[in-house]
Amino acid sequence: MALEQSVSRRRLLQLMGGAAAVGTLAACGGGNGGSSSSGGTLKVIGAGSQEAGLRKALDDYKKAHSDFDFNLSFSPADQLQTALRAQLAAGNAPDLHAVYPGNGSAMSMVQLSKANLLADLSSQSWTQKIPTGFKGAFQQDGKTFIFSPGTSVLGAIYNKKAFATAGVEIPATWSELLSVCDKLKKKGIVPIALGAQTPWVTQLIDYALVPGTVYAKTPDFDDKMIAGSASFADSGWADAMDKYLELQKKGFFNDNPNGTTYEQATSMVGTGKAAMAIQVSAVLQAFRAAAPSPDDLGMFPFPATDVAADNWIPGGVVVGIAVSAKSKKAEQAKKFIEYCGQPEVVNAWAEAVACVPVYSDGDAKVDPVLTSFLPYLKDNKAVPFMDQRWPNAEVQPTHFAVVQELLGGKTTVQGALKKMDEAYRKSA
Amino acid sequence: MTITAQAVRRDAVKVSRRRGGGITPPWLFAVPALLVYALVMLYPSIVGAGSAFTDWSGVGDARSFVGIDNFKQLFSDDQALGALRNTLLLTVAIVVVQNGIGLLLALGVHTGIKSRMVLRVIFFAPVVVSPVMVSFLWKYVYNPAPDAGLNAALNAIGLGSLRQDWLGNPSLAIWSVAFTVIWQCAGYSMVIFLAGLEGVPAELHESAMVDGAGTVARFRHITWPLLAPAVTINVMLSTVGGLTLFTQIIAMTNGGPGYATDTLSTVLYKQAFVFGKFGYSTAVALVLAIFVAAVSFIQIGYLRSRETSA
Repeated sequence: MALEQSVSRRRLLQLMGGAAAVGTLAACGGGNGGSSSSGGTLKVIGAGSQEAGLRKALDDYKKAHSDFDFNLSFSPADQLQTALRAQLAAGNAPDLHAVYPGNGSAMSMVQLSKANLLADLSSQSWTQKIPTGFKGAFQQDGKTFIFSPGTSVLGAIYNKKAFATAGVEIPATWSELLSVCDKLKKKGIVPIALGAQTPWVTQLIDYALVPGTVYAKTPDFDDKMIAGSASFADSGWADAMDKYLELQKKGFFNDNPNGTTYEQATSMVGTGKAAMAIQVSAVLQAFRAAAPSPDDLGMFPFPATDVAADNWIPGGVVVGIAVSAKSKKAEQAKKFIEYCGQPEVVNAWAEAVACVPVYSDGDAKVDPVLTSFLPYLKDNKAVPFMDQRWPNAEVQPTHFAVVQELLGGKTTVQGALKKMDEAYRKSA
Repeated sequence: MTITAQAVRRDAVKVSRRRGGGITPPWLFAVPALLVYALVMLYPSIVGAGSAFTDWSGVGDARSFVGIDNFKQLFSDDQALGALRNTLLLTVAIVVVQNGIGLLLALGVHTGIKSRMVLRVIFFAPVVVSPVMVSFLWKYVYNPAPDAGLNAALNAIGLGSLRQDWLGNPSLAIWSVAFTVIWQCAGYSMVIFLAGLEGVPAELHESAMVDGAGTVARFRHITWPLLAPAVTINVMLSTVGGLTLFTQIIAMTNGGPGYATDTLSTVLYKQAFVFGKFGYSTAVALVLAIFVAAVSFIQIGYLRSRETSA
């Protein structure tokens, strides 16, 4: 009988009233509070890791040039891929923006210059000073497209107090490293903090190991990969991943690395709860900020093998800046980059982001914790970060994913490397 | 006045009166809105859909026509097929559990208890918080450390053995994300069910009670059938929400660990903005749009027929 009185959908919607509508608006609305640049100013978007150096360079340049002004914002690495790339696609890129050196990411110099999105900087005098070994990071088809202040090294950032508590010294070989980790663990200190929930952190231990397990024996490995005569699966990459897993199986990482973030791992090392984190020198400042005193932290090359001579280091050109090819203020932006190319500016920027200047007039001040890395750079035992020579933007994220799968026990080393080989062979 | 009124009548476009009392305005009135819709929605969608047949990287002008290669790749791509599986799992979990909890909450606060208004506000509160904020909040709750978040709470009540790596365990992460979505959106379902319950005539329950019907019988034979329109709306909204889930996943797991929580939405995002394959990404988006439309169409057909029979 009464079922005929069922509530109609229209009536139901009326009854739902304003609360639901408010909820919908609040839940689904996505105000992004966009940024705007005032007229006449240079719009600049930088990567978070370059903030200290880029901001100082811009401030100093503005002080010396009263007609110059800028609107500066920063994005973490993953957001650069979206926000900046969307602006590039829409043709409204900032005048000056962060670009990754070499190839291997959707925001890399090679990928963007191929799409004619970057202005040619080759006519600037500083480009002549780029060391031959680093030209691939700055140049495509003989033209220079980015400025970067120098090279960041990758190794173990360690807490000196934690090492002292366990009575251990800096290890020089893989066996010594395992022994150090064992002693730290017995003292109740997490030997290595790993925040593998943050995708880019997953790659760092492999990057620290493959210079020793791959490039020390096969320096032309990248050329062989490009030629198709080598693969990840049949190379020292397998040794590196085996060692990565060995560290996990021996309990030398914090519990649940896949659920731990970069920030949590940073805090663990800063506070001495963990002894080490395998990281790039560019993030030293974040670790120092997490420690009671900046002097609590040091850094050393991460040993990959038991043969000291084979223990090469990863050292890559850090994220740089480039001028948008479509910028209406390209000349103004280029003048700023020319200023950045002066050795004293290179030194100041490099010091601010804890990297080694790309070239120097002899007055360069390198962060003291990096001194143990300098002989490797001098002896050509530094290998650029691996992704900088990968042919497309798919290999690196695949590497992130397979490492998480390895740590989660969802794949094998060979399965992981096979996926990376498949991604590598896809077209650029 | 008379002349003016006559002129208006003469020039007026025909309008018809509906049985319900309202008037049906002529289609001409819809033209400005349709034009704006065409310009803002249809044109970009159609132009964008064209990219699905190209190898465009998303930046620059270089692109070439590749026919249906992107679609062929999609159906042989392990990552995309895994993402489809995850999408369906999440959708089923969200539709069933969110609406189940939403219904229970609605029934609970539709009673005469004193604090019902306060409870309604409390249960609805998570809905008005940004999904990104909720995701970061729960990321904190899901901290895998034994002395933090949910694990610490489990420890405190003597259930330490149930501690988990909530977002880092590939087998568990997807359910952790689903729980977060359900926690946030159950209040939304509650409001819709509550609206439905408000429309159920009290005299029906009274007469059923006089006839000796118990609580369960009254729910089964009166409340549930009369809630059919609310069920239709809730199921529809949660299905579309589940199939297109993106924000919470990107904010909490970024599709990981590995590919364990990737959905079609995160795959299309990564293909476009991380891998630089805008063409392929658009193909994924097209398939997702067609899939969502098809599921919604079938669903609404079934649920409407249920309303009619009720």
